[in-house]
Amino acid sequence: MTTARNPRRIRAATSLAALTAGALAAGTLSMAPAFAADGGVTQERLLNADKEEGNWIQHHKNFAGHRYSTLTQINKDNVKNLKVAWTMALGGIESGGIWSHGGLEGTPIVENGMMYVTDGWGSVYKIDTRGGEGKLVWKMDPKTDREWAGAVACCGVNNRGVALWGDLVVSHTLDGRLIATNKETGQVAWQRQVADPDKGETITGAPLIVKGMAISGVGGAEYGIRGWIAATDLKTEKEVWRTHTIPGKGEPGSETWKGPNNAAVSGGGSTWVTGTYDPDTDTIVWGVGNPGPDWDNAYRPGDNLYTDSTLALDATTGKIKWHFQHTPNDPYDYDSVSENLLVDAGGRKLAIEADRNGHAYAVDRTNGQFVWATPFVKKVTWTKGINPDTGKPFEYDPNKDVQRYNPAATPSAENKNADFCPGNMGGKNWPPTAYNPNLQYWYIPVIESCNRVTHEAMTQANLKPREFFTGGGPSQPFRITGSVTAIDVKTGKVAGKHETQFPLLGGMLATPDLVFTGEPGGGVMALDAKSLDKLWEFRTGSGVNAPPMTFTVDGKQYVAILVGLGGAWDKWFIDSTPELKNIQTGSMLYVFAL
Amino acid sequence: MRKLMLPALLAGLALASPSWAQSARTGGGEGDLAVFKKACSGCHKWHGGGGGGYGGDALSLRKTELDKEQIAEVVRCGRPGTGMPYHLRGAYDTVKCYDSLKADMGSNMPPETAVFLRPAEIDAVATYVATRLKGKGDPTFEECTTFFGATSRACDVYRKKEGTDAPTH
Repeated sequence: MTTARNPRRIRAATSLAALTAGALAAGTLSMAPAFAADGGVTQERLLNADKEEGNWIQHHKNFAGHRYSTLTQINKDNVKNLKVAWTMALGGIESGGIWSHGGLEGTPIVENGMMYVTDGWGSVYKIDTRGGEGKLVWKMDPKTDREWAGAVACCGVNNRGVALWGDLVVSHTLDGRLIATNKETGQVAWQRQVADPDKGETITGAPLIVKGMAISGVGGAEYGIRGWIAATDLKTEKEVWRTHTIPGKGEPGSETWKGPNNAAVSGGGSTWVTGTYDPDTDTIVWGVGNPGPDWDNAYRPGDNLYTDSTLALDATTGKIKWHFQHTPNDPYDYDSVSENLLVDAGGRKLAIEADRNGHAYAVDRTNGQFVWATPFVKKVTWTKGINPDTGKPFEYDPNKDVQRYNPAATPSAENKNADFCPGNMGGKNWPPTAYNPNLQYWYIPVIESCNRVTHEAMTQANLKPREFFTGGGPSQPFRITGSVTAIDVKTGKVAGKHETQFPLLGGMLATPDLVFTGEPGGGVMALDAKSLDKLWEFRTGSGVNAPPMTFTVDGKQYVAILVGLGGAWDKWFIDSTPELKNIQTGSMLYVFAL
Repeated sequence: MRKLMLPALLAGLALASPSWAQSARTGGGEGDLAVFKKACSGCHKWHGGGGGGYGGDALSLRKTELDKEQIAEVVRCGRPGTGMPYHLRGAYDTVKCYDSLKADMGSNMPPETAVFLRPAEIDAVATYVATRLKGKGDPTFEECTTFFGATSRACDVYRKKEGTDAPTH
């Protein structure tokens, strides 16, 4: 990288690039060779993402989902000196549909000093981070149809970020599009409609790119969708495969949808959190969300595959290789959408997942066999626990079509108002975990919670396009707090817990001796990787709802995080955290350095 | 007395309006959609059908049995013991609601709205609910485009349902 940089000249060139396409953009390349010299992102680079120490070129940092950076300039001895280096105000807080504002949930992507972030409505911002400040290079506004999408987004105006491929920045919009943007010019190269909001489908996740295909997941299990995972070839712009998470008639698993309601057609099974990829077996591992209607499991007798399951797909064909279900015939809204981290421990190749039902699971990722499960929340009431022989809840009865688990904690026609723990947001929601491969510690951003669900019996007449189909609704009579909980993956046991005043709605970053996270009261913090003692905190004065990441530019390490409370919390769950009513709407990027 | 009154309110039996309401400017014709958009549609949705769902519990305004004055009172004062907020600045404070002040309400105190409405706006939105939503069946394409205009695809689903358009895909 050249040191004879002229920031003013680059700024002028790039702002022109933002205004124009084609020939002028080509001129930009020659003026700033450092931008284009890398030749774009390839499968080879994605496979070796960890070797690009100062970059963060994938949503979860690497294909295995570790969110672990080997950078050590910021460490436990000096993290107390971490300060704000620069900030940038972003947009995307506009209202739409049932939402009064958008929020920020994205993970910044950084390649050679250029950062790519998104706001809740799907605008992509390219930011030049060189020279100790942030300069906007371009903004791609996809002009999301806010009313169309916002009316069927159960849980906020959210977008979790971009992926890189070749000279493209690949992203989703809430109104169901996959968009490929030219990395240099910010012009949309092409786009296709992947999900259909007319059916209640929306997209909030970042794409996963495998072998030149963009893998998209969908949200909408609260609106009677039939979930799927889809692969789009980034060269032909065509769909390569689409695998439904609810089997079609006659397919394996369809026998787990019984009763007179034809429940599989509206069975839910969303896939709204970005999954992981195991190149050794060419397998995509992706989590599947709750069945619909959420809280009336008598509407849909049977185990309801593949809801609340981890799915392993052949990356080339999309064919299901194996599955592991956590909460059969779920009456709680205990999605298993969480990312599965691919880790090797005790001589086994594992996929580990922190489930909304409050238990951390390890399965053998070569065949889906259960290995261990352990509760990571302080309080679980819906079950006595997970049977270590079967991996199923102790109360699960395969001969029963409708599971009641702990009946006193289960919403049903006989128990109209049920209190259960974890609450329906789960012990851990979408915010990602992180894994330190040296310590073999796995850090979970926890929602320590209980809540109440009022049951409502559903009929097929309740099923209408673009309308909620939930079988009741939650309320918040109990205070909800949070924690960072570390699991020792060698033993499968909880190794430590750092309790927080508020639920952790942002997610984790691990470095060799630190873990970073943020909380919705505004704090961004660093904990000791081993003891979980708090070593540093900065109060942003806004709500953190996104995971931190770290990168280097000009040879210096930075920590970046998006700040702006959105998501489901401040509409549906705020009564459990009354102090958060004081958090104002905002949309900011914070970048820290020593 | 008040303890006896609140359950009656919860059953949807609104009481007579306070006298000041009569002096509020009467909203003309079919009321004010703009007020409905800013104050109501977040929970009751664009079509007023409400519908509970993930965390909300807003009642259907299409199925309401309240008359216009009763609707205006609920907008002003909220619905005690529920999430329906009061929209009149000073309600339960300088102006009594259901013959009560904040101190009388205890845990039944309804939440405060994010957007206060002026008396004329309350009247206009009550007129809107009473004339445009109350008693209507399933939402229609025409209602939808009246709400959203032609710039959003939010109404496509109603057009498809009514079969007035060729498939779009």
